[in-house]
Amino acid sequence: MNWPLAPILLPLLTALVTLFWGRSSLPRRWFVAVSATMQLVVALHLTADTVLGRTFVLGLGAWPAQFGIVLVVDLLSAIMLSLSALITLASVLYGYAETSVRLEHPLRATLTQFLVMGINLTFCTGDLFNLFVAFEIMLIASYALLTLEADDWDIKHAFPYVAINLFGSALFISACGLAYKLFGTLNFAEISLRAALLTGDFRLHLLALVLIVVFGIKAGLFPLYYWLPNSYPTLPIPTSALFAGMLTKVGVYVLLRMFATVLPHELTFAHTLLAWLAGATMVLAVMGAISRNFIRGILSFHILSQIGFMVLAIGFFTPLSLAACVFYIVHHIVVKSSLFLIGGVALRLNGTDDLDRMGNLWKHTPWLGLLFLFQALSLAGIPPLSGFWGKYLIVVVGLQEREYWLVGASILASILTLFSMLKIWNGAFWTVSNSVPLRTGDRRWVGMTTVVAGLTVVSLVIGFGAEGVLRIAMQAAERLCDQQGYAREVLAYLGKAGGNLSP
Amino acid sequence: MTGPQSYIFKTVARFLFFLVNVFALYLLLRGHNFPGGGFIAGLATAISLILLSLAIGLEELHRVMRFDPVRLAAAGLTLAVVTGAAPMLFDRPFLEHFDMHFSNVPFIGGFHAGTPLVFDVGVYLVVVGVACKIIFALGKSTQRLRALVAEEEARYSSRVEQPIEEEVRTEPEPAQNPTIPDAT
Repeated sequence: MNWPLAPILLPLLTALVTLFWGRSSLPRRWFVAVSATMQLVVALHLTADTVLGRTFVLGLGAWPAQFGIVLVVDLLSAIMLSLSALITLASVLYGYAETSVRLEHPLRATLTQFLVMGINLTFCTGDLFNLFVAFEIMLIASYALLTLEADDWDIKHAFPYVAINLFGSALFISACGLAYKLFGTLNFAEISLRAALLTGDFRLHLLALVLIVVFGIKAGLFPLYYWLPNSYPTLPIPTSALFAGMLTKVGVYVLLRMFATVLPHELTFAHTLLAWLAGATMVLAVMGAISRNFIRGILSFHILSQIGFMVLAIGFFTPLSLAACVFYIVHHIVVKSSLFLIGGVALRLNGTDDLDRMGNLWKHTPWLGLLFLFQALSLAGIPPLSGFWGKYLIVVVGLQEREYWLVGASILASILTLFSMLKIWNGAFWTVSNSVPLRTGDRRWVGMTTVVAGLTVVSLVIGFGAEGVLRIAMQAAERLCDQQGYAREVLAYLGKAGGNLSP
Repeated sequence: MTGPQSYIFKTVARFLFFLVNVFALYLLLRGHNFPGGGFIAGLATAISLILLSLAIGLEELHRVMRFDPVRLAAAGLTLAVVTGAAPMLFDRPFLEHFDMHFSNVPFIGGFHAGTPLVFDVGVYLVVVGVACKIIFALGKSTQRLRALVAEEEARYSSRVEQPIEEEVRTEPEPAQNPTIPDAT
């Protein structure tokens, strides 16, 4: 009965134990790795159960759904939980390969687990205010991680991140107030029932716009993304992979949840706005990526450009486009994190990630080059790799909807993505230069590459098994849009009021 | 972060320390059914500690308290989580609470006790720990003391880490205040 809680409770307990454990040591590392593996197993178990049509509902404190906070795990939540557990595990293992036990920051494991707890709570919650709490846990942990192993320069770039996200939180709590005034409840299921009666009310549109701004800041939509591309490169590599993979996608997930499950589907103005903002995001951000000349900077801008694709799919708002969005999220999280990790290996080998001073990687470490090729081409959308299918579906929906400008923008963004990936390829892998040192003597890169190889295998499986993944994504999107079904499942939880506590 | 250098202030602050804490205890116990609870009680206790630090100074306070605020907060969080998770062992939902009414207790009469109080104590400890940590870290930075004492440094900082304010900290101290101890 308490299964939806496991993805939240496990990271929390792990964080507490590591906090008491103090200094980093080998047993402590094993403990965190085992816990991360267990989280992955639990998340996969939840996914396996939800694929079969089950939805987990848990009222905290056994209060009925109308009065208490409910945790709801449906298929989309379970998929997101699995992805977050996978990326966390990869980031933890990569961190172990990269840093010796003696030099590991003792708080990194703790804060990462708190961050994961916030992320997972965002995916599980069925309550708007609880969502705010989850965001706060996630953000505060991310502020701390951003400035944990930082110097003056990093702090300077962390400042806009903290400032803008604090503003976003203030706006979010205002939106919660607005929603409560409007609906008299903050429970997603009840909001969805009551909002259906308010269709056409301008206050509903206002709420939708405020929510677009709030989650647009978090996801990194066009006019609101300037905090991201300078702050992510300052992070240590494993943490930046976790941030790049999960944090912005939390914003996309919440946009999906809000517009598909909670708010009425007739908010066409908000959907159109989302689509055009997304179009602007993908083109402008990919141009930003071209303007950068170091790997982490290029990749940070690419996060935003890819967010554009996902939000464009939400903006089209057809069942197929929402499935495409889910597929794209799955593909993107794995690919983007592994690209950051590959960038980290290249940085370790060359001693820099400034493309002008890199080189020789293809000649001496072809395996790394191969991994990079798979993931970079997948990001750009070359068939049959995973990125192609998501983009293909989005373009198909765009053509169906006759949004030719937006389709053109997405194709332009894909070509420019390919261009900037080739820039990394030429600068770091293909250049042969005698003046560039290659530190293959430092054997740490082998372990780091192994972790990336694991992620690459996952991404290749997504690409070659696209049909199966797409079928699951379709099911997730279908259940995401089924407001009546969602409300029925959640409100059926009576807790204490029903006497019968088994679901 | 030291307050006015007056005997009256120091004496009153020490006296108030106990008064505020008794009030905090009252808030904590009352919180189940009335306004109050662990959060506000924790803030009251944190205020009493800040007041005490104004009277006797941060370093002296650390010597007297002998606890690490982060660990206090972590202990509180553990207590709260364990209280919340305990019903799960009996296949009940997370965070479900139970209470009992005792009647005819000698000297008190009837009273009401329940697991929410344990949870509230956890919240109380978290708030005390976090509030103290934040205020003390800010206070220390204004006095150019290091944010972490030696024991905390062993737990919460990396071996390669350097304080960010290193340059500020090592510049020559102003002449009119020569008694600041060496921060290493």
